[in-house]
Amino acid sequence: METIHLKKQIEPELTIGKWFKNVYDAVRTTAIGMGITFKYVWGREVVTIEYPEVREELPSNSRSRLYNDAENCISCLQCAVSCPVDCIYIAAVKRPTDAPKIKTKDGTPIRLDLKQYTIDTALCMYCGLCTTVCPTECLTHTTDYEYASYTLASMKYDYLAPDIRAWRTRIVKS
Amino acid sequence: MHNETALKLSTLVSSSNAKAVMATLGDSNVTVDSGSILEVCRALKSEGYNVLQCITATDYADRIEITYVLADFTKNLELLLKTNVPRGDGNGNNKDTLPKINSVASVWRAADFQEREAYDMMGINFVGHPDLRRILTPDDWQGYPLRKDYIVQEKYLDMVVNPAHKINSADHMFGKNLKLEIGDPKKVSASWKSDDADPTAEEAKDGE
Amino acid sequence: MSTHHEPEDKIMLGDQEILKSDLLTLNMGPQHPATHGVLRVEIKTDSEIVVDAIPHLGYLHRCFEKHAENLDYRGIIPFVDRMDYLAAMSMEWGYALTMEKMLGTEVPKRAEYIRVLVAELQRIASHLVYFGTYGIDMGAFTTFLYCFQDREEILRLFEELSGARMLYNYIWIGGVWNDINDDQLTRVKNFVDRFEPELLKYHSLVGQNKIFIERTAHVGVLSKEQCLDFGATGPILRGSGVEWDLRKNRPYGMYEKIDFDVVVGKGEKGTVGDCWDRYYVRIFEMFESIKIIRQVLDGIEEGPVMGKVPKIIKVPAGEIYMRTECPRGELGYHLISDGGKTPYRLKVKSSCFTHVSMLPIIAPGQMVADLVASIGSIDIVLGEVDR
Repeated sequence: METIHLKKQIEPELTIGKWFKNVYDAVRTTAIGMGITFKYVWGREVVTIEYPEVREELPSNSRSRLYNDAENCISCLQCAVSCPVDCIYIAAVKRPTDAPKIKTKDGTPIRLDLKQYTIDTALCMYCGLCTTVCPTECLTHTTDYEYASYTLASMKYDYLAPDIRAWRTRIVKS
Repeated sequence: MHNETALKLSTLVSSSNAKAVMATLGDSNVTVDSGSILEVCRALKSEGYNVLQCITATDYADRIEITYVLADFTKNLELLLKTNVPRGDGNGNNKDTLPKINSVASVWRAADFQEREAYDMMGINFVGHPDLRRILTPDDWQGYPLRKDYIVQEKYLDMVVNPAHKINSADHMFGKNLKLEIGDPKKVSASWKSDDADPTAEEAKDGE
Repeated sequence: MSTHHEPEDKIMLGDQEILKSDLLTLNMGPQHPATHGVLRVEIKTDSEIVVDAIPHLGYLHRCFEKHAENLDYRGIIPFVDRMDYLAAMSMEWGYALTMEKMLGTEVPKRAEYIRVLVAELQRIASHLVYFGTYGIDMGAFTTFLYCFQDREEILRLFEELSGARMLYNYIWIGGVWNDINDDQLTRVKNFVDRFEPELLKYHSLVGQNKIFIERTAHVGVLSKEQCLDFGATGPILRGSGVEWDLRKNRPYGMYEKIDFDVVVGKGEKGTVGDCWDRYYVRIFEMFESIKIIRQVLDGIEEGPVMGKVPKIIKVPAGEIYMRTECPRGELGYHLISDGGKTPYRLKVKSSCFTHVSMLPIIAPGQMVADLVASIGSIDIVLGEVDR
């Protein structure tokens, strides 16, 4: 058996005068508080956004869903290297020498044929490191934020597949 | 400052063998023998180092280096105090095989949680600690995660860690299958290099 | 420090023995609104009085330090954000400073100003969350809504700057990601002009309220000696009357040129170092932050926002311990590099971890309801505690 000593909380001595002062203070300060909140009843704008009916428009450099414009991609792999969670899968083969010479929008010659460009959105943490290193700016974050899905497999976006390429008109500006 | 502190320490605690290690870049430190750490810390506290900021450990191939970050809030000083202990055996959950060092929890109460964390993460037995339990991992965890040779345990409480039916194997095999399909790509992304190290992928990482 | 209690132990509260009944073990958390995250506190109570409280951590443990050993130096920044997710800018700044000191990078003046600006806005946002949730702990719901409305404005600005609402990845090694434009600077100015009188109003709504004072004054008192012994920093240390602020005492960034005061708890409503003092320190730190922001807006100069950093960062072998003042206390990064592309060891000294360790000395002798007030007043973020 041992004795445990607990520190007693300091409680100021309570006299009858103090008791009445406490009651008075409580009423007075609460009334001040009520006065402050009362002003909010009228003349304040509604700040709540009623989501499904009203959709917020994100700022233009918001980091949401990724989109790779595969035509402008030169398969430099810089995005895959910089990705901290390794969620970008790229495969490219050398372009045959007799094939016609093609260029990206900004004039960089494309020397490799992109065979696969897949981003696993389920792994992606939207840090934005891949888009900043992209030399042709084909990989961008769009402002689209409504893309929940039921299966993990559908979170893998193959940017060469026609159905995913069809988003371009919908989510990429300019 | 470090030379003076080391000199003072070796006069105050003769067995400490204190040496100042001056660095050209970053922070310098004072290294002492692990056996005299408690006396050294007492001496330093009486010298004015009134706050223990943190205790961290680093795993090297041949030793574990423990760093005590001390601060003096009145004179606005900061000191890294280092000591080395042998690595011991860091597998399993046995305190006896771990390297031993005296706890400084009696000098600064801050050492209580910091030492528990160092024990949990790096496997150092702080002798004389009031309550040396694991802090971030469960009590019956095996191994010490921040050691360089740590391998994730296969079983935890008779449960298989990462059972096959819970792994998203389709995800796991995605890169591998992709590679098989494409044939012999000239370049593949770094995400693939896990199964067989591709020299081109390494090149891509080093280049530019 | 947990002690083992036998049923026949004698428990004294002050100088009188309290009601002798069996100790009741009560688990507060991990899913409990008053623990602010997944903290579990094992409480032993005798009737309504807490005899012992043992914090159990690790529910949010992700082993950030092991992650960092396998990531390149730029890739660590998004992970750093996820530690104290309510003050991600401050976390990034500490990391960036650590790296810049090792690399010897010169940061452009404009970037330094932007860093101070976003860090102080972040401090306001973080303290607003504290203020709002502390109100909820004390039974005042209104301030929560007011605070989040103001915080939303800051988050919106950050979203426009960096692209994300909470996990910014904005402060990079060598500078900041995006430049801030004049329109945004005007908005910051308008915000602080509007916010300053609002904050005074909130203070008189909550802080001066007698009911709030009764709940917080003389509760959870931490003395100066206890704070130093446990290594507490930030508003907790200042609340206990120690004038210690890294921004003043070991200035980094632009803080040397900026004039502001360190707010210290004075025991205005109760004892020095009680919950009300910690509340007071945080509220008046926001006013100091506004002061700093005004000076930044006056002093900001044109120029680039990114210094020269090699494309592949290799830190020369060596080690460094760098601390910065975050909203919740001092954050320390201990980096050991062996000259490679990834750190050899990156240890984070989190202030919240230290503050959680103080629960066993705050709790004994309190009522359970006062324990809620105490936990709320030390303001922990479990992401930083467990890392």
